Amino acid sequence: MNLYQPHLVRIEDIVDETVDTRTLNLAFKSPETASAFDFKAGQFGLFSVFGSGECTFCIASPPTRKGYIECSFKLVGKVTKAMRALNVGDTMGFRGPYGNHFPLDEMAGQSVVFIAGGIGLAPVRCVIWNVLDQRDRFKDVTIIYGARSVGDLVYKRELDEWAKRSDVKLWQTVDPGGQTPDWKGEIGFVPAIVEKAAPSAKDSYAIVCGPPIMIKFTLPVLKKLGFAEDHVFTTLENRMKCGVGKCGRCNCGPVYVCKDGPVFTAADLAALPSDF
Amino acid sequence: MRTTTYLSQTNLRGLAEDLLTAGTRVVAPAKIGRAPYQQVDYQRIAKVEELAMDGALPSRPLKQFFMPPTEILLRWKQKKSDVEIEEISTQFPATVILGARPCDAAAPGIVDCVMNWDYRDELYFGRRDATTIIGLACGGFDKSCFCTAVGLGPDATAGSDLFLTPVDGGYHVDVLTEKGESLVQAHAARFSDSTGMDAAKRFHADARKKVESNLNPVPPAVRQWLESNFEHTLWESIALRCHGCGACASVCPTCHCFDIVDEARGVDRGERRRNWDTCQTSRFTVHGSGHNPRANQNTRFRQRVTHKFAIYPKKFEKILCSGCGRCARACPGGMDLPELLAEIERLATSAEAPQLRGERS
Amino acid sequence: MKALQELAAKLLTEKTVQIVIGYEEGPRGVRPAFITRAEDADRLVFDSRCVQNLASYLSPRRNHLVPLGKKAIVVKGCDSRAVAGLIRETQVRREDVVLIGVRCGGVVRDPAADTTLTPDTVAARCAECDIREPKLVDHLIGDLPPAPPVNRKRDELIAALDAMSAEERWAFWQAELARCVRCHACREVCPMCFCERCIADKSQPQWIESSAHRQGNLSWQFSRVLHQAGRCADCSECERVCPAKIPLSLLMRKTSLIVRELFNYRVTDDPSVPAPIGAYRLDDKQEFIL
Repeated sequence: MNLYQPHLVRIEDIVDETVDTRTLNLAFKSPETASAFDFKAGQFGLFSVFGSGECTFCIASPPTRKGYIECSFKLVGKVTKAMRALNVGDTMGFRGPYGNHFPLDEMAGQSVVFIAGGIGLAPVRCVIWNVLDQRDRFKDVTIIYGARSVGDLVYKRELDEWAKRSDVKLWQTVDPGGQTPDWKGEIGFVPAIVEKAAPSAKDSYAIVCGPPIMIKFTLPVLKKLGFAEDHVFTTLENRMKCGVGKCGRCNCGPVYVCKDGPVFTAADLAALPSDF
Repeated sequence: MRTTTYLSQTNLRGLAEDLLTAGTRVVAPAKIGRAPYQQVDYQRIAKVEELAMDGALPSRPLKQFFMPPTEILLRWKQKKSDVEIEEISTQFPATVILGARPCDAAAPGIVDCVMNWDYRDELYFGRRDATTIIGLACGGFDKSCFCTAVGLGPDATAGSDLFLTPVDGGYHVDVLTEKGESLVQAHAARFSDSTGMDAAKRFHADARKKVESNLNPVPPAVRQWLESNFEHTLWESIALRCHGCGACASVCPTCHCFDIVDEARGVDRGERRRNWDTCQTSRFTVHGSGHNPRANQNTRFRQRVTHKFAIYPKKFEKILCSGCGRCARACPGGMDLPELLAEIERLATSAEAPQLRGERS
Repeated sequence: MKALQELAAKLLTEKTVQIVIGYEEGPRGVRPAFITRAEDADRLVFDSRCVQNLASYLSPRRNHLVPLGKKAIVVKGCDSRAVAGLIRETQVRREDVVLIGVRCGGVVRDPAADTTLTPDTVAARCAECDIREPKLVDHLIGDLPPAPPVNRKRDELIAALDAMSAEERWAFWQAELARCVRCHACREVCPMCFCERCIADKSQPQWIESSAHRQGNLSWQFSRVLHQAGRCADCSECERVCPAKIPLSLLMRKTSLIVRELFNYRVTDDPSVPAPIGAYRLDDKQEFIL
């Protein structure tokens, strides 16, 4: 079995998050792989539909929940179109886990602020559940999540669950104009809500994922709040093919995003050339 | 291990004959195409008569014999909602490359680093392991040769298992590896007592002199300059004449970027393939969102140069270039890597503005 | 040469254009030059090594050249056919470019060779040249040099291929196209390959497989040649750039001969003359349609 040969996975469940975003719950077909498989929050895999090709997604489910992996994807091109055409019981390919991960051991004993925009909640959700499944290892948990409109919010059932928890502070927001009449959350762009929520930077880490423009305007806010650049994490979403540092596609300055990333600190990003 | 022996012209052909008869795949410089389109390229040969070892630099390097332009990674078969995968063997037939120029023989050893970086690419190394490389000392071809500038040379034995240097009536042979040694032992009758050492040394010295005059050794200052001048004005108009065709990457012995695609073969089966790709095309980095980090040719060309002379050396302590000069020869727009390296060296060692002819804006 | 340099300097000084694209002496013979300052105009050269078709730099796909401003380009007669093609197909507006025509005595095949024109060194396309003094120009430079020697080797090979049995010809092209690595360099240098998204890059549906196997290579090269029928200006840049050294201009030339026979059309430097592929005529032949 060569490096590029995927494991076979079976679609166990399909959840439509939004009009164009879907979550697949996948289980390894081989019992040996299923029991041996392990990963860390933030790692990614190459998910494939045979005949259409491979696509890179973070593993959206937490490593604390065994027996399955999930990926959430937006309809963009050939592979995601083919993924949408599959049903429960169908077979896909999975290679991984690849890449580095969020340093949860380093973050233990500290507070965590999760900031996400749109489908950028997928990689963050993996860490959120990882943290919540080990809730006593961490101090305060704050989640700030925004999307263009109410209809674009993903993982709605889990947002409701987090909203109900007393050990999580959840801020939900939609862009101005994206609210519905019964919207109870915030209205405004994510960076503005971060400023409003003003989570404490003391003994705290921040994880930020979302559209590049959101990240760009959120980082200065975190800086203003006092977050150290090496306590702020994000992921890069460069185009990839191999996932194992060979095909050259995700190379950006001195890093290969698939091997040295996809998780980077704000300090790492500041040192990278503007090539991502 | 370094011993020497001698192979006459006649016995070189005899050796090729022996290998072919034994069923070994033999790759060597050979004429391709039909007049007026004839070229010399490395080819798998079927007959000794095809050998063209004294001719021009083969138009393409050896990389296709380790990572073909297209290769199957797996085959799949759909059975209702199940999929069956047919594994692709990572065992490859024994191959002897005869007459590899030093720049070409050395290149796979450079690419090995990335192909073995934490994950071993078994398909690539399957071919690497099955292949014996018989290098051939080079006399230097033209002004675009710059192997000596990247730490190699027309006499460099890096990557060769045996290394031939043309001397009177045949070749002085350096035996460099166990693979080379066992090839000599298996064909002992073809080799005779070492001779021509002095003539070989003269050949090497003359060739070195010729190539060294093309470009000074690339100093560490070039890498340092590249690492700290990503936004330098040099890059703003570096690639005006570049069409983004990627011919440079196709003919490059060390460019190794690839794509992975699925292709159906009928309604219920197909194959996943690895195909050559290049950072010189606009599609290479374009995101699903449409965002392209390298949206114009200047940035794409910067990537090619930076990857070879800064990024790869930083990761693997090796320049991703063997100085063959094919990129300069192949470029329809006249982009010239040796010229650019000299310019970067000048920028790195002086405080002047870029002066590269034709690249000013 | 002096007249060319003076004209370029004048165009830049008077700000008629912001950049003059011509030819200069490079490390390997003659290469394209991009002159933005009048004092650099003395770098411009023109001789029989000026092989490159600079019309490619007018293609809207060269987005890195757009910020440089209005261009003047040096064109040989054969190149002006490609410029006419770009104008005919609304990729370039005539008033957006200044064309500096050069009277041409033929070019060699390799810009890194010397200037000597012999039947062995001269480019194949020069054999049939009827446009050594370009007409689609704003300025015309130089005296008309003597006609180049004639090299008919390409047409002889085409005749030899035509004389082959279908099986032999198929074997010939299969062997040649087997070397294709699907780098698409032929497309990238081609002045007439200006599609925003090439059919070979489309994945939904995937009309042409991107792999360098037999069906991929054949469907790519045959699609390209058909898309070039009656459009190809025969600059042979595709053939010159091909890293696999596939004799692509044989395909292009043969196609142009077929178009000539079927439609009585030769690719022209007059942008107002419609090309067969872009015009509908009631008397168009259609017996090739199955």
